[in-house]
Amino acid sequence: MSSRNSEETPSLTLEVMRADIAAILHEDPSEIGDNDSLIDLGLDSIRAMSLLQRWRDMGMNVEFAAFAVKPELKYWWQLVSGAAASDVSLPE
Amino acid sequence: MMKPVPLTEAQEGLWYAQRFDPENPIFNTSQYVEIWGTLDVAAFEQAVNAAMQKARALSIRVEDLPDGPQLFFDPALTAQLRITDLRHANDPEHEAQSLMQRDAMTALDPTRDALAAQHLYQVGEEKFFWYQRVHHLVIDGYGTSLLTRRICDLYTSSVTGAVHQTSPFGSFDSVLQEDAEYRQSEKRQKDQEFWQKEFADKPEIPLLNKGLAYTSHTFIREERSFSREFGQRLQSLASEYFLTWPDILTALSAAYLKRHTGGTESILGIPTMNRFGSASAQVPSMIMNVLPVRFPVDESLSLQDFLISAAKKLKSARRHGRYRSEQLRRDLGLLGEHRRLHGPLINILPFEELPQLGNAETKMHIQGTGAVDDLTFNLRAGAQGDELYLSLDANPELFSVEDVKDHADRFVHFLEAAIQSASLKAVSTLTPEEHQHWVYEVNQTAHPVERTTLVELMLRQVRNSPDAEALRFNGKSLTYAQFEQESRKLAQKLKAYGVKKGDVVAIALPRSFELLISVFAIQRLGAAYLPLDPDHPADRISVIIDSAQPACILTFQSLKQSFPEDRSLIVLDHESFHSMEEVALTPSDEPGPDDAAYIIYTSGSTGVPKGVVIEHHSIVNRLEWMRTFYNFQPDDRILQKTPVTFDVSVWELFLPFLTGCSLVIAPPEAHKDPAWLARIIREEKVTTTHFVPSMLGIFLADPASQGLRMRRVFASGEELTATIRDRFHQVMKSELHNLYGPTEAAVDVTYWPASSIDESSPVPIGFPVWNTSMHILDEYLRPVPPSVNGDLYIGGVQLAREYLGRPDLTAERFIPNPFGAGRIYKTGDVAWYRRDGAIVYSGRSDFQIKIRGLRVELGEIEAAILSFGSFEGVAVIAREDRPGDQRIVAYLVPDQNAGPPDLVQLRSHVSTRVTDYMIPSAFIVMDEFPLNSSGKLDRKSLPKPELEAIQVGRPPETETEKKVAGLFAEALGLEKSFTISAEDDFFSLGGHSLLAARLMIRAREVFGHELGIGVLFTHPTVARFAAHLDQLSEQSDEFSHMDRQGLGVIIPLLLAESSSLPPVFMIHPAGGISWCYAGLARELSPRRSVYGVQARGLDLDQPLPETMDIMAADYVDQILKVQPEGPYHLMGWSVGGIIAQAMAVRLEQSGHSVQTLAMLDSYPCDYWRDEPDPDESTALKALLFIAGLDTENIPQPLTREIVVTELRKSSHPLANLSDDALSGVVRVVIQNNRLVRRHHHQRFSGRLIHFHAALDHQGTTLAPEMWLPYVGAVTIVEIPAVHAHMVSPQNTKLVARYLNHSLS
Repeated sequence: MSSRNSEETPSLTLEVMRADIAAILHEDPSEIGDNDSLIDLGLDSIRAMSLLQRWRDMGMNVEFAAFAVKPELKYWWQLVSGAAASDVSLPE
Repeated sequence: MMKPVPLTEAQEGLWYAQRFDPENPIFNTSQYVEIWGTLDVAAFEQAVNAAMQKARALSIRVEDLPDGPQLFFDPALTAQLRITDLRHANDPEHEAQSLMQRDAMTALDPTRDALAAQHLYQVGEEKFFWYQRVHHLVIDGYGTSLLTRRICDLYTSSVTGAVHQTSPFGSFDSVLQEDAEYRQSEKRQKDQEFWQKEFADKPEIPLLNKGLAYTSHTFIREERSFSREFGQRLQSLASEYFLTWPDILTALSAAYLKRHTGGTESILGIPTMNRFGSASAQVPSMIMNVLPVRFPVDESLSLQDFLISAAKKLKSARRHGRYRSEQLRRDLGLLGEHRRLHGPLINILPFEELPQLGNAETKMHIQGTGAVDDLTFNLRAGAQGDELYLSLDANPELFSVEDVKDHADRFVHFLEAAIQSASLKAVSTLTPEEHQHWVYEVNQTAHPVERTTLVELMLRQVRNSPDAEALRFNGKSLTYAQFEQESRKLAQKLKAYGVKKGDVVAIALPRSFELLISVFAIQRLGAAYLPLDPDHPADRISVIIDSAQPACILTFQSLKQSFPEDRSLIVLDHESFHSMEEVALTPSDEPGPDDAAYIIYTSGSTGVPKGVVIEHHSIVNRLEWMRTFYNFQPDDRILQKTPVTFDVSVWELFLPFLTGCSLVIAPPEAHKDPAWLARIIREEKVTTTHFVPSMLGIFLADPASQGLRMRRVFASGEELTATIRDRFHQVMKSELHNLYGPTEAAVDVTYWPASSIDESSPVPIGFPVWNTSMHILDEYLRPVPPSVNGDLYIGGVQLAREYLGRPDLTAERFIPNPFGAGRIYKTGDVAWYRRDGAIVYSGRSDFQIKIRGLRVELGEIEAAILSFGSFEGVAVIAREDRPGDQRIVAYLVPDQNAGPPDLVQLRSHVSTRVTDYMIPSAFIVMDEFPLNSSGKLDRKSLPKPELEAIQVGRPPETETEKKVAGLFAEALGLEKSFTISAEDDFFSLGGHSLLAARLMIRAREVFGHELGIGVLFTHPTVARFAAHLDQLSEQSDEFSHMDRQGLGVIIPLLLAESSSLPPVFMIHPAGGISWCYAGLARELSPRRSVYGVQARGLDLDQPLPETMDIMAADYVDQILKVQPEGPYHLMGWSVGGIIAQAMAVRLEQSGHSVQTLAMLDSYPCDYWRDEPDPDESTALKALLFIAGLDTENIPQPLTREIVVTELRKSSHPLANLSDDALSGVVRVVIQNNRLVRRHHHQRFSGRLIHFHAALDHQGTTLAPEMWLPYVGAVTIVEIPAVHAHMVSPQNTKLVARYLNHSLS
């Protein structure tokens, strides 16, 4: 599943990610701290994959393995923003 | 080479699994990618090799060191891509397929072989197969995906220059470190607590197939895809309920499985990647775990609530997902490879799709993913979000190809329907095609039958053949015309008395002409007959009479006192009868097809008998079917021997009058006497008769039945076993038909030809009769799939009208037919469909049972006990402690204030309220009842009654037999009232060697012969033992002295003359005597001969063998004399196992086949090699230990004299040996101890079954795996026992259960 035309999809931001994580955990976004362990908040691999699927549909391009090593929002955002940067350098 | 490290916990399970079955290739995981287009082979090779270089976890070797298996990293084992150009092969793709297949099917040895392989096959100019194979010990599904993606990524970026999409692998050291940390952590303890609590109630695991789960070498695979709508609905439900699609699939799978296993929950194996939040997320290695997750399935919930509850279970299971399920199995004491913790696996593969491979097009083919113990449902999402594929893998030992196909279709259909429904309740289990087949096609029984009455059919027969013989009884006979006259006469009297259409008339008559005449006379007036048994308790009779309100009761003078004075009795053999008035019959007296023909009372669950009303047209359908289907002719003779209160009698009574043949009436009481019956059948030339199967068993056991010829025998009323069917065809020449039906459906509704070529086991009840439908349904009245148990329902013309006067009960059991017109009747029986449509009965759904064909409501018996006095608890159950021997046992918890009940009085009280076959055979008083987790009475834990009543057989006849039976009873501690039959086997009655010794002492006193215990093994039944004694009195000494004492080298422990199966040889333990195996020999099923092999040194005149190999060679020579050709089955306990292995080696070397080598807790000699030879005292101490005596208080050093004295004091069976023989045992023990230290094993290439004494050997290094250098493979079966108790009766059963499987 590759990225789709991103013109109509909202772009992925740290806050969008926070809101999505909160929704799948039935929590308020304010409960999801940047450096909290998402496992401690109740996230498991199956839910994480479902989030990643959602974000991929929004144009993100990071594999599950990288996310899974360290399930923390700040770390994930670094992966996403770093990958986004390298995405730009892809040959057209 | 680097420093070795222990295996991770995840690897240990696979290591042992492979080690126990070294030839099994099922642990190879493999896949191939089909590639079309341009592939830069050099760049691809570089990518593969670079990735493999970094995947260090795959380049390991295992060494089995004394402190456990260790991992060695070995760069020499790193896989390099092998490239094979097959373009010039005949069929390149086929060639590649078979090369891949061959590799995947070759078992790997982790101590030696490279565990990973990478192959590229070029099969066309622009077509390649890329094959990867890795042993499951070092990789899992996630790891394989990681590896494959990395290789694709490396290749693509090298040929296109694209940016890397994957990261380099993490280090395997971090995985090892995490594993080591987890083992010591508090988290692991918490995880363990979670799982132990989850399984604290030790649930029975619901399984689709209850066979033992041996890991097969292959699997069956079926693939299906789901509709796109399903994928879309899955996605939308997931977002609507805030669930994930994999969890929804898992939950629905749990619901699917519950439809096949019944009960209230499913326990599934859920593979879990176990990498989230771990460094292992980036390491190709073996990390995954299979979690046993318990899903309660409550179909009354809404779909949403059900899915949410299942997702919660998954969430908490995953939180504790690191704890190994192999470890949990050990924690729970589920020892041995076949004990399961969960049913099928639900393996959902949400891993990312295969990424781009340069510019080529690719398709992934997953071949093996590890062992398939049962069923594995692999569910994989496609590239688009709405695609979903099922790949169903099954263990071919447990499932047929058809089973797997059906499951694949049914599973997809069920999930597609379930996801659209508001609740699971509305979802059918079957596919529409299956529904059509199992509801309608199997029930195509429509057949034209005239709508008429028994009366009309009989009168027609009278016109057709007035002078033919209708009835025979005690040498007299009646023609059809005479019978018609007599019945008319009685009918006219009854009419004058006031009997009219719609009335009920009771009959209480023994078998006689009058019985038949009365039945017809009653029906000629349009009334229904109601049979009463004067032997039934007065209470029961009066309840029936009060309920049915008969117009009158027809009886004989001799039975008259069974009925209250105020009843309207008509006594047929009293002179007043002859003076009764008569009124001529008119056609309007005759019944119509819808009038009641008879009413029979059956046992009721409320404790009140229920009157079943059957109409004429229903029973006419049943009889016309039978007459046509079995081709009855006027020259047939049918035997009437069934009591008329039992509905089987109905066809016996009436079928002759539809056929024009004659009915032979058996004298009263004759139906209980096999020899009498056989005589009647012979003398009266009976062609057709009926037996309840248990009576048939007794009949066949009687010599009088030998060689009987009939046209047909019908069996019904209870389960016909395959054993009785087979014995029937050995003993008699006749057709045998198995029929089934409740009283509520005009006698029988299904049939099965149990012919001599029928090999079905269990014997089915078969197919529906004319105009009848059978349905097997679940609790929501949904048809169940074949092979699945459900409630059996009957529809069609034979259904009863009602329960007389009980509209409530009628409405409860006769319900509207959900599949068409009319009603269906709930039988209360549980049954399943075979694939060919034959129905197999599997028991009662309620507590109602059948004893000797007669229905018994346990509640009725409980009510009778409760009416005696005050109890805290009463439970009555039917037990089957011996197969085929069902008996009723009552358990009582007395009221604390009232004190213990007088059981004699209680018994006689109960016998006045229930019929004789319902009186419990034992009353057991308890302090409290065992309860299960939900606080309900745990019926399974109620104790077995002490030995008493045992199966009925031929009673002892000769004087010697009677004496022997008395001695058996005495030795076994049985009550005098207890009857032992001539065929009863001493050991099957619970005798063991200690009791046998006691018996032999008494037998010596009574008969004056010197008898060794061995005589009892060769002559274990009363009849054979007695025959042996009689022979001894006549004959001179034919056997050697040793044989007579049971001390010969070969001793038959069990002779199964009729069995053609190869025997089992059981080799003596250290003491040289094999009597200890007598119990095990009797637990083997099917029966086969068993011989003990015993030490020559027991005879003081014989030299002792100098080496164990010489001993083994001698034993092999001896067994070849008994059985010249293989396959051989060898088994031994302790030292016996060592000798058996040496015998197996020798047999194999001389070209014989050894099918079974089994050891009861034996270990290789290496362990004792360096210990000094024992002195005599130590060896004697060992002997006392073997005999189970405490050596602490015995003066030491031990001498032979002291040991002999101690054995005699303890009345141990060994003590009954002569002084010489006992000295023989002592020298054999000492010699065997010496030989063990000197023996060096050679290798036997077959498999060893090792029964491991799991409760013993703590603190030693003794382990079954120590045999691995000396045998081809080891299968370990854990027996929860210490070494010395391996052959106790209880453990013998466990050993036999597994041994039976491997012998077959």
